[in-house]
Amino acid sequence: MPYVPNTDRDRKEMLREIGVGSVEELFADVPQDLRAKAELDVPGPLSEAELVRHMRRLASMNRTTDDVVSFLGGGVYDHTVPAVVRYVMSMPQFYTAYTPYQAEASQGTLQSIYEFQSLICRLTGLDVANASMYDGASAAAEACLMASAVTKRRKIVLARTANHALRTVASTYLEASDMEIVEVPSLGGVTDAGALDANIEGAAAVVVQHPNFFGLLEPVEAISAKCESAGAMLVASVDPLSLAVLKPPSDYGAAIAVGEGQSLGSPVAYGGPLLGFMATTRKHIRRLPGRIVGATTDTEGRRGFVMTLQTREQHIRRDKATSNICTNEGLVALGAAVHLSLLGKKGFRELAEQVTAKAHYAARALAAIPGVRKKFDGAFFREFVLELPKPAHKVKQELGGAGIWPGISCGCYYQDMNDCLLVSLTERSTRDDIDSLTSALEAVVRPGVNS
Amino acid sequence: MSEPRDRAKVVEPTVFELSHPGRPGYRLPQLDVPAADLAELLGEKNLRAELPELPELSEPEVVRHFTRLAEMNFHVDRAMYPLGSCTMKYNPKINEEMAALPGFVGVHPEADAAECQGAISLIYNLGRMLAEISGMDEVSLQPPAGASGELAGMLIVRAHHAHNGNPRSKVIVPDTAHGTNPASLTLAGYRAVEVASGPDGRTDVDALSAMVDDETAAFMITNPNTLGVFEDRIAEIVDIIHGVGGLVYLDGANLNASLGIVRPGDVGFDMMHFNLHKTFSTPHGGGGPGSGPIGVKDFLADYLPYPVARRDERKARGLEFDFDYDRPKSIGKVHAAYGNFLVAVKAYAYILTLGPEGLRRVAENAVLNANYLQKKLEPLFELPFDGLCQHEFVLSASRQKEQGVTALDVAKRLLDYGLHAPTVYFPLIVKEALMIEPTETESRASLDRFVEVMTTVAEESASTPELVTGAPTETPVSRLDERRAAKDLDVTWEKS
Repeated sequence: MPYVPNTDRDRKEMLREIGVGSVEELFADVPQDLRAKAELDVPGPLSEAELVRHMRRLASMNRTTDDVVSFLGGGVYDHTVPAVVRYVMSMPQFYTAYTPYQAEASQGTLQSIYEFQSLICRLTGLDVANASMYDGASAAAEACLMASAVTKRRKIVLARTANHALRTVASTYLEASDMEIVEVPSLGGVTDAGALDANIEGAAAVVVQHPNFFGLLEPVEAISAKCESAGAMLVASVDPLSLAVLKPPSDYGAAIAVGEGQSLGSPVAYGGPLLGFMATTRKHIRRLPGRIVGATTDTEGRRGFVMTLQTREQHIRRDKATSNICTNEGLVALGAAVHLSLLGKKGFRELAEQVTAKAHYAARALAAIPGVRKKFDGAFFREFVLELPKPAHKVKQELGGAGIWPGISCGCYYQDMNDCLLVSLTERSTRDDIDSLTSALEAVVRPGVNS
Repeated sequence: MSEPRDRAKVVEPTVFELSHPGRPGYRLPQLDVPAADLAELLGEKNLRAELPELPELSEPEVVRHFTRLAEMNFHVDRAMYPLGSCTMKYNPKINEEMAALPGFVGVHPEADAAECQGAISLIYNLGRMLAEISGMDEVSLQPPAGASGELAGMLIVRAHHAHNGNPRSKVIVPDTAHGTNPASLTLAGYRAVEVASGPDGRTDVDALSAMVDDETAAFMITNPNTLGVFEDRIAEIVDIIHGVGGLVYLDGANLNASLGIVRPGDVGFDMMHFNLHKTFSTPHGGGGPGSGPIGVKDFLADYLPYPVARRDERKARGLEFDFDYDRPKSIGKVHAAYGNFLVAVKAYAYILTLGPEGLRRVAENAVLNANYLQKKLEPLFELPFDGLCQHEFVLSASRQKEQGVTALDVAKRLLDYGLHAPTVYFPLIVKEALMIEPTETESRASLDRFVEVMTTVAEESASTPELVTGAPTETPVSRLDERRAAKDLDVTWEKS
């Protein structure tokens, strides 16, 4: 057993010191009739060589975004992860440390979280951010609970244009709390102002994703004005990369900004781990769920960092805590801080500009294919919806054979959108990739082909 | 932006203080499509007036900054990290390599099931292994952390009772429970009711019997409990709860002591969550990513979070592995995708490396190490609950308190000797608690070193208490002022 240092001799001596005759006796408190009757039926043990062979075989049964030309996105994006991000995340001082309960021996973790919080504030324009959450979906759910606690209202208005993951996870969290969730339909791919007007009364929060699932910019300023007059908090779920070019949530009056931070230095990784973030105004900091790191001083007046405002949290407040969250996504937040520091002010902007340019180049080329059109007219950032002359899932199948994944079939998430495809771009998509998608799509939608 | 005003008072500047305008840290590919006119494409009114003030550093500066931060961290690759209930065991390096295989890292969650048979089979098979280890029937890997698993579990409790006509109103937890237990059940719409522990550190079964009724939705317990003792009357407890139609939930935080010894499902537990980042050696990452799979008995399986990984050897749907989304009774999703997949990869590799015998050896040695330490430390510190322990035990610094030294002081002094502190002030029912969990991956020499340091600290507490109360002095910073942090809130760096 490679990970257990005790030898038989150690065990014998230790048992003698304890004053028992066998390891068996150490389990005397476990009633005999409750003990496992047989050895566990699990595979192994494998040597390292055998394990590697098996794992490589499993890994080879997956097709990755490197094996194909992929335009999949919808919340998880295939950006380049710089080597430095992986390097820092693989430092044992970071990855083998626990939650920084002993601050004096955890300044590395604490300061990096403080920097992460500060970076999120700079992106969102808001005053305070927490140390991260599981993913963008649960961050949105927690924002709804927070808004309910602040406003003492129990209704949440959710834009139907928000990512399905956000909407489904939020429902899971909120239904048990006996909260009412109203989904507002869309018009032209963005939240329908009239439907919002009809539903906003008495809402604790209006949750809008901007840019939304279809890649479109939402009329956030108009929505914010409606929130203001209805006394509802605006929860903006934002793509952090979009904040290099788009107005920050603080500009349009969002009370809480949340989002999925996977695009900040994380691989696609079958969707986990992801990285939720959450920021709000100073006034609401005591309602913020999750860990928060603050600066302070040591006995010699040196700056240092600690977890602060812990009386909000479950380990102190138990059933009265602002949330049940304990773990955050510390290592992933560290990766995001490294990624943003490396790209810097100009690099991050350039990345967003490239993504915008590629998405618009692709949209123009693809929408020029006879029979294919852009589903919506509104402004979009990194992804867009195409309407095809046949079911999107069929097109996906046909192109898959040629090593092209053209996007997400919207019919999976919206019943009336079976012919729609969400096409997402990153800086990794080359012009050649886009051109090959264009010709391949043109070939399969040509009248008379497979239809 | 320039140097901080008082450089001497700064151990490592923040990344913002290190920023220098114009320094490039990364090169993007040459743009190969026409450049974007943002105002035209996105609309002038939607654009940000000023760029976010991100720091500007070259690559070597970024690496140095984060390396210097890393050097200020204690970590388990360096020395013993005996945090009770946290199971800070060694994180095998091969597992990190396996989780970094391009065939795992590069799988998109929206890829068709046919394109990710390896990933789904891993999720399915890890679920089967956890089911076998725990005696549960079905396991979902979706919850990304222990507390998320608890929430999923409590929502399943609610769904089960609601299906039978009444969701019921209360969930009972012992006074030794982790804080997440009452917080999670509250989030699921229940009221927490606390049952006291008896003088032996175990649930007071009579008190429990007296408080159960037909409003009792569940009993949530950690076993071995957070005092490190096995609830030897657990079968009776299970009967009491089942007798009123309630469910019994196991907080699996302490599963390390039970691997191959006891299967919670055989004991009568209806459901439990696992902490892959504790029992199954995946790293804690300084606070995540973790993974908190939820396992249930058959009669609750329909309520598990969807989608559920499944296997069909005959490939009736064309594939051996896929996800079942058609789960009308499911509580819904608790994660945007399928949970923390890369964490699952590491746990899977760990179980395969250990095999059945290795898993049992983990439990045996974890319990052996804890008992050895308890025996050695008992003369130095008060042991509120004596007798054999499981994988952890709780001491009290109450004797030291009389000398003016608190559990917190003891913890800080340990840092000076290059060891991490135990969990302090938990469980709440022990005054000046020091909760110690060595794990099976510590050698006897390492345990002896801990004993030696604890002996020194106990002696110092008696002879030179100011050394202990003034600790730490050997860490990158000395004792930090937590009160000031909460009073003069500074949680976001701003240019001064």
